[in-house]
Amino acid sequence: MDYIRILKRGAAAAATSYRLIIIMWLTALMMVLLVALPLKRILKGVFDRSLATERMLDGFDAGLVGDMGQSFGYLFGAATIGGLLLMLTGFLLFTFFAGGLFTRFAAAYGDLNVASFMKASARNFFPFLILALLMTLIIFAWTALIIGVPVGIMAAVTDGAMTGSNLMRIPFLIWALGMPLWLLVADHSRRWMAATGSGKVFRAMGAGFGSLKRKFLRSYGAMLTVMIVNLLFFGAALWIAAWSVPERGGMIFLFFLSTQLMFLIRLLLKSWRYAVVSELALLPA
Amino acid sequence: MRGQAIFDVPLSERTTGYDIAAVLDAESKTVTGDMTAWWVNRSAIPVDHALLHLYLNAFSSNKSSFASSGRWSPAGDEGWGYVRINQMSDQYGNDLTMTMHHIAPDDGNINDRTVLQIDLPQPVQPGDTLKLNILFESKLPSPIVRTGFNKDYFWVAQWFPKFGVYETAGMRQRESDGWNCHQFHPNSEFYSNHSVYNVSVTIPSDYVAGSGGQLVEEIDNGDGTRKIRWRAEDIVDFAWTAWPGYKVVRDKWRGVDITFLTSEKGLEIADNQINAVKNGLEYLDARVGPYPWPHLTFVDPPMEGAGAGGMEYTTIFTSAGSGMIPPFLKMAEMVSIHEFGHAYFMGILASNEFEEPWLDEGVNSYWEERILDHYYGGGYGIIRLPFIKFSDADMARTSYIGSPSRQAATNDLPSWLYPHGTYGMMSYQKAATWLHTLEGIISTETMDNVFREYYRRWAFKHPSGKDFIETVNDVVTEEHGEKFGNDMNWFFDQVLYGTEICDYRVSGVTSRKITGYSGIADGDSVTFTRSDRKSDTLYLARVGIERIGGMMLPVEVLVSFDNGDEVIEEWDGKERFRDFEYTGTRKVTRVIIDPDNKIDLDINRINNSWTDDPQFTASGRMMTKFVFLMQMMISLFTI
Repeated sequence: MDYIRILKRGAAAAATSYRLIIIMWLTALMMVLLVALPLKRILKGVFDRSLATERMLDGFDAGLVGDMGQSFGYLFGAATIGGLLLMLTGFLLFTFFAGGLFTRFAAAYGDLNVASFMKASARNFFPFLILALLMTLIIFAWTALIIGVPVGIMAAVTDGAMTGSNLMRIPFLIWALGMPLWLLVADHSRRWMAATGSGKVFRAMGAGFGSLKRKFLRSYGAMLTVMIVNLLFFGAALWIAAWSVPERGGMIFLFFLSTQLMFLIRLLLKSWRYAVVSELALLPA
Repeated sequence: MRGQAIFDVPLSERTTGYDIAAVLDAESKTVTGDMTAWWVNRSAIPVDHALLHLYLNAFSSNKSSFASSGRWSPAGDEGWGYVRINQMSDQYGNDLTMTMHHIAPDDGNINDRTVLQIDLPQPVQPGDTLKLNILFESKLPSPIVRTGFNKDYFWVAQWFPKFGVYETAGMRQRESDGWNCHQFHPNSEFYSNHSVYNVSVTIPSDYVAGSGGQLVEEIDNGDGTRKIRWRAEDIVDFAWTAWPGYKVVRDKWRGVDITFLTSEKGLEIADNQINAVKNGLEYLDARVGPYPWPHLTFVDPPMEGAGAGGMEYTTIFTSAGSGMIPPFLKMAEMVSIHEFGHAYFMGILASNEFEEPWLDEGVNSYWEERILDHYYGGGYGIIRLPFIKFSDADMARTSYIGSPSRQAATNDLPSWLYPHGTYGMMSYQKAATWLHTLEGIISTETMDNVFREYYRRWAFKHPSGKDFIETVNDVVTEEHGEKFGNDMNWFFDQVLYGTEICDYRVSGVTSRKITGYSGIADGDSVTFTRSDRKSDTLYLARVGIERIGGMMLPVEVLVSFDNGDEVIEEWDGKERFRDFEYTGTRKVTRVIIDPDNKIDLDINRINNSWTDDPQFTASGRMMTKFVFLMQMMISLFTI
């Protein structure tokens, strides 16, 4: 049973790469804290010694927005710009680490040491970045074509009446079923680059499409499974974080630890995806 | 025509009435009408002319006062709207068509044709009735703004020639008799006599229709059309709607038949919508006065009729959302409750929305906020989730205090004179916010009594703002004596007729150890002695309060001490600052101005309090969530 075996082997490969994943987690945490800590300082400055913070204890009281006046605008602006910068630098950082992870999974070296991991990440960075940008563009185009166009047409034809109807679930379903394909192409391509040491992006994409074509059923099934697990965890983690309202200092620290543990698991699950695709590449056509 | 089919005794004077036989042409988007309208001269002098609203002419030209505001432009050539009078005569057979001419009493705009003056061949004597027989054609506009059509959806409102209000001297503080008939402005639409309506409408057979009247009969004409006849009594306007896609849900609250027209999608939240209206009925019935009509119809327009959403015609009103709003957000309920509330504030208490929009929209918003925050979310009516909460009252307050133009105008302006987009903020949100503040000052119980008395005095009449203030003064004096002065005019002078803002702040708190002396504390009593080894440490605690804003309102100040004592200080808030001093063995730990949040007008409540032990757990939690969210988003968007 190739399918289950691949998932298991991928999971084992991801799990044994825990040191690399911890490096990714720590780097990402430090990067985000660079923005979050100044924001927290601004927030403290706004409230100073006011008791108004009590209005946030059991959930943020949106009525505070008016009381904060211009400070809210500054805080919101800083959080938005900081968030966008984080998304950009995060994209670069995780693309960088993807180079190291695929090298680890593709070459079947066993666990890489940190120096080798960094070296592999650096070596693959630019071709991986170009590939990531291209694939991201393709996914945006796919989204616009499959969801944006039908929704737009439907909204125009029916004055928005049908945009919330069951009929509109069809494009979303097609979009969701198509997503594993693009991720498979991206992952097969990166695995090919990591395995061959080549930096030729378009050749890699050709290899990616070729791999997908040759092993379509097994690839698609495995990727769909991995994606569903990833998405379920992603949704559950965000749901837990959103609905948690710890009210005391100690509880908040525990909450912080819990969120970071969830993020570590998230990184592990994403690495699992890379490892599964790398295992798929080893299968005969 | 004046028969009392619904009420045994008329609820109003019934100065006007309308008999209309209308036919909807769904192809040409027109309604042709044959109308008899009557008006009784209740003044002591003969009246030689009449004024009528021709609302739909606001959509006949892009130079009308309505369209030139930029709030509406036609959707192609088919989008223009108008009301054309093809024939008009009085009960004596005089042709009045030649005496008609348009006037623009508000802004002198010669291109505005929304007010029609008819010079009568013979004056209407005191007590006499003027009857007008009118053949008219109303072309509905598109897109829908309060009225109009979109494809096969029709929201037919402000559609027929309608009398203005003839006011007698003394009414609403008026100095002399005369007509009150304003042009159709983008921001306001209502001031009318309570009337009797007998309306029949012929529509295509496959259309579902509803109106603000009670169904009298429905006849299939056998030619692909059917005629529906409604009757309504003592309402200020008559609107109706027709659309083939309507689903009808019926319910009942005590003696009131509730009809809900909605789309297929809207059916999903029909129960929520109907419950919202029932909540409104229950709340206002208990605190203001009885809902007098045995029927009400409300409509959740489909997306194609969204422009009709959020409108009120007393016994028919529209909600919004079409079932597209997530259920945890109570916006659809908010709109339903608000528009229902207009049955009271404008429908029963028929104030002049053109001239005093706060008395209509502001008062109604205040009650909408009370109702929503009472029935939903434990005080947070708009949204109540574990991580976010928002009360309806705070939403209004936020709109007011967050507006950079909050001091641009006083709150008593006619609707069309509010500067640069401040109408909504001033008429709805500021007015509601100061009404909450008034409630905080005089107590909820007294506030409810004010409105009960206001209803008792003015139901089915035309109150003005000054009439409302007089009611407040009478009730407050009766219940509180001179606790707040001779009257409450000082309050209205600031909030209604003034532009100042309210902002109090804790300017500083110190608890200084008194050296050289010690004291033996016994409760609040301190005996000073020279240093004594066994004495308690003495502190001189100072609490500084400042009034930053120009508005002066009485406030309470709660001072808490480290031994658990609490003191409530009362301050009239008139001086620029006030210092409170406490000498004793206790240190101040917390100070809160307005601890019960009575003064909603205070534009910044963050500076209302001080603590010696600030808690940042909430900000720590928010930052933890921010960090996690960013991490997860980065991992999601990086393939």
